[in-house]
Amino acid sequence: MTFIADKQTLEDLNLLGKYKQYSIFSLFNKVSTTGGENLLSEMFQTPLTDPEAINKRSAIFQYFQSKQITFPFSNGQFSAVENYLNGDSGNNYASAFISLTKKKLLGILVRDEEYQNIQNGLQKTIAVLDDCRIFINKFEDDDHPFHDELLTVKNILNDPKLQWLTTGQSSTSQLSLQKTAKYDHLLRHIMRASLTAVMGTFYQLDVYIAVAGLAQERGFSYARSLPAGNNLFKAVELSHPCIEKAVANPVSFNQESNMIFLTGANMAGKSTFMKAFGINVYLAHMGFPVAAREMQFSVKEGIYSSINVPDNLNMGYSHFYAEVLRVKKVAEEVSSGKDLVIIFDELFKGTNVKDAYDATLEVTAAFSEHLNCLFIISTHIIEAGEVLQKEQDNIQLLYLPTIMNGTIPAYTYQLQPGISSDRHGMMIIENEGILELLN
Amino acid sequence: MLFTTDKQTQEDLNIYGKQGTDSIFSLFNRTATLNGSKLLEEMFRYPLSDADAINKRSGEISYLKIVKATFPFSAELFDGAERYLENTDERTKLPAERPSLEKKLSGLLTANADYKMITDGISALIGITQQLEGLLKSTLFLTGSPLKNDRETQGINTLLNAEPFSLLLHENPKNKLSHEKLAVYDAQLRFRYRDTVKRVLQYIYALDVYMTVAKIAGECNLVFPKALPKEEHVIKIAGFYHPQLRNAVGNSLTITPDSNVVFLTGANMAGKSTFMKSLGIAMYLAHMGFPVAAKEMEFSVMDGIYTTINLPDNLGIGASHFYAEVLRIKKIAKELSTGKNIFVIFDELFRGTNVKDAYEATIAITTAFARKRSSVFVISTHIIEAGAVLRERCANISFKYLPTRMNGTKPEYTYTLESGITDDRHGMIIINNEGILELLKKRKGVTAI
Repeated sequence: MTFIADKQTLEDLNLLGKYKQYSIFSLFNKVSTTGGENLLSEMFQTPLTDPEAINKRSAIFQYFQSKQITFPFSNGQFSAVENYLNGDSGNNYASAFISLTKKKLLGILVRDEEYQNIQNGLQKTIAVLDDCRIFINKFEDDDHPFHDELLTVKNILNDPKLQWLTTGQSSTSQLSLQKTAKYDHLLRHIMRASLTAVMGTFYQLDVYIAVAGLAQERGFSYARSLPAGNNLFKAVELSHPCIEKAVANPVSFNQESNMIFLTGANMAGKSTFMKAFGINVYLAHMGFPVAAREMQFSVKEGIYSSINVPDNLNMGYSHFYAEVLRVKKVAEEVSSGKDLVIIFDELFKGTNVKDAYDATLEVTAAFSEHLNCLFIISTHIIEAGEVLQKEQDNIQLLYLPTIMNGTIPAYTYQLQPGISSDRHGMMIIENEGILELLN
Repeated sequence: MLFTTDKQTQEDLNIYGKQGTDSIFSLFNRTATLNGSKLLEEMFRYPLSDADAINKRSGEISYLKIVKATFPFSAELFDGAERYLENTDERTKLPAERPSLEKKLSGLLTANADYKMITDGISALIGITQQLEGLLKSTLFLTGSPLKNDRETQGINTLLNAEPFSLLLHENPKNKLSHEKLAVYDAQLRFRYRDTVKRVLQYIYALDVYMTVAKIAGECNLVFPKALPKEEHVIKIAGFYHPQLRNAVGNSLTITPDSNVVFLTGANMAGKSTFMKSLGIAMYLAHMGFPVAAKEMEFSVMDGIYTTINLPDNLGIGASHFYAEVLRIKKIAKELSTGKNIFVIFDELFRGTNVKDAYEATIAITTAFARKRSSVFVISTHIIEAGAVLRERCANISFKYLPTRMNGTKPEYTYTLESGITDDRHGMIIINNEGILELLKKRKGVTAI
């Protein structure tokens, strides 16, 4: 089973998308090869739900980070090999030889380029495979989580059948027809499956090295996943991975305290904090490095966020109704018994204050009873928080403060316990000088 | 002066829409020719801000609607003609002397694409010219036609009576043209009178747009608004509705300098946004001289229109929804401070902040807007308490609401505007109707067992 995150959530957290600015995918997309990029994209689309699989993958990242290796190949080299291996060679040496001879003759007679192409592809492949062997032989046989995969590749590349790689690669001189046929048949027929597997492992290496490199560069750490049971979440210095020098905050949940009720003035950083939390939860479930100093978490089955709910007026929905439908969808998922992470930003902002107050109160209380899920709910209806505090004991009330420097508000982005009473809406309007413009 | 608007407004009103979805533009985009469609898009991009120009255009389209004019040209003719005119290479010009036997033979063997392009283009232009002459006589130049006084139509009529068109009018389109004639026409149409020919085609594309719009006005029962001079500051619009909705309920509104702020309240789903969009679209189309979805409309020409209905908060760059609203108001305030008369729509003002701020800000901003008597503001909000204060402070605010009738636990909406402020709210009823709380409690019961 894979970790659930629907389209709305993926968009709220800006997780996917190669060409999207500031998407989390593009943050991590430092791979060199197209194959590596495809693999990275697949990892982003299917986060894991098995704690052991998560820990194993993050252990691999940590291993490569500790080794501080750079991936020495370019995309061009690998695509040349890919292209070459995708072509066909004869079923046996004789037919491969005959077909190559035919091609060579055609090349001489009518300037057919196929023979030349095969020979170029072969020579490039030989060079890359030789580099691969040198690269892979550098890894010691110590005990590390990627050991088995590396050993398989090592055995293939050190196969006696491939011993000629180093000697056969006299890069300047052309290979004779006989040798070309022999090597071509060997690489593209006899060893084709093994070599495809080698390529696959190198794409993995590309991803592991790139991600580990980013983790090193940005000071990310690795989350430890725990079995689902205890509904535990604990992070020290959690921040938004895309924001450099972001202010970090601690976050912790457990079964007795499974909800954060977040308040704060506009621009105090509520949405950013919630996004940072959601993104790190998602990354942790991929086994990826997270923007936190330390983090451990009970594995969840999915995440639902509601940060930028679009109204669908073409279908006749108001913004409020769109929110109601979103809450309903989440309620259905929660009530089906799944262990989920839920993020609601500015719940019911599309309606009048009194409705928003009633609805926030009732819905929040009902959700918080589901002790197997984690919730962060933010609102500007601060009055609801006071009531919730009296009625429920599993809710953490937190706020993001605003400090006034004269008439200019400043923000610390540092979570504080309690409910905010900061209101600076009018001050923002005055700072923009709007009323003077209209006078 | 240009009529000003911006991307946010065009998106709010769904003027162009997203690729492949229905929009106001696509409602009208049924021109016969491709260039007609381009011209239509240009008209949407640049609405007019001059009452005479608006009334002239709407008068002409309205006349074409009354006489049920149809576009008599077939669209393929224009493809041939445009392709032909596009080629300005002198080397392809037909030589005046007859081709030698040798050339003729080689022409038979390998089809000469240029030659075909030239003969097709010339015969297309003959067809177009002759049909245009017929159209001018049968429709555009009849007594009572406003086009008779149109400078461009008169100009085109004069052009048709001079070279090169006068010659084309006498050709029988069924006959094959001699080589000499082809050479003469080619030199004239494609080189010497090229700009004139282009002008005639452009005129026909405009006719295409006008006739298409006229036809749609007839099919959809749209009416032509009357533009009044700027100074009158009046908008009277009766029975207007959203042109993309079927069986929409019509509403009426009169706006004068004594009631230039409309303060709109109503429950969720009572139709506030649709009402505002309908009004915005009607004003937009009216400023293009286009027909609108209403029974009757007259309006003083404004300098621009700005709406804020679906404001995206740009959280990617760290601006909150509230700040996005503030910046939007600042932009409008800047426009107003240059002395322009603007039509402003604001849906759910300050919904992205807490109650107390929203209350104070709504009062402050609405009061400031109300002083700009020559502009028009339509503001919807849920902060009904602000309404009571504004009623005391400003005399020129008209309070309107969209009512909700309760049918048991099911809210029903009339979508008909009424005067006053409403405190209807049905948020909890909607939540209960969706059964959300039961959903969450049901599961709790199961675990307890």
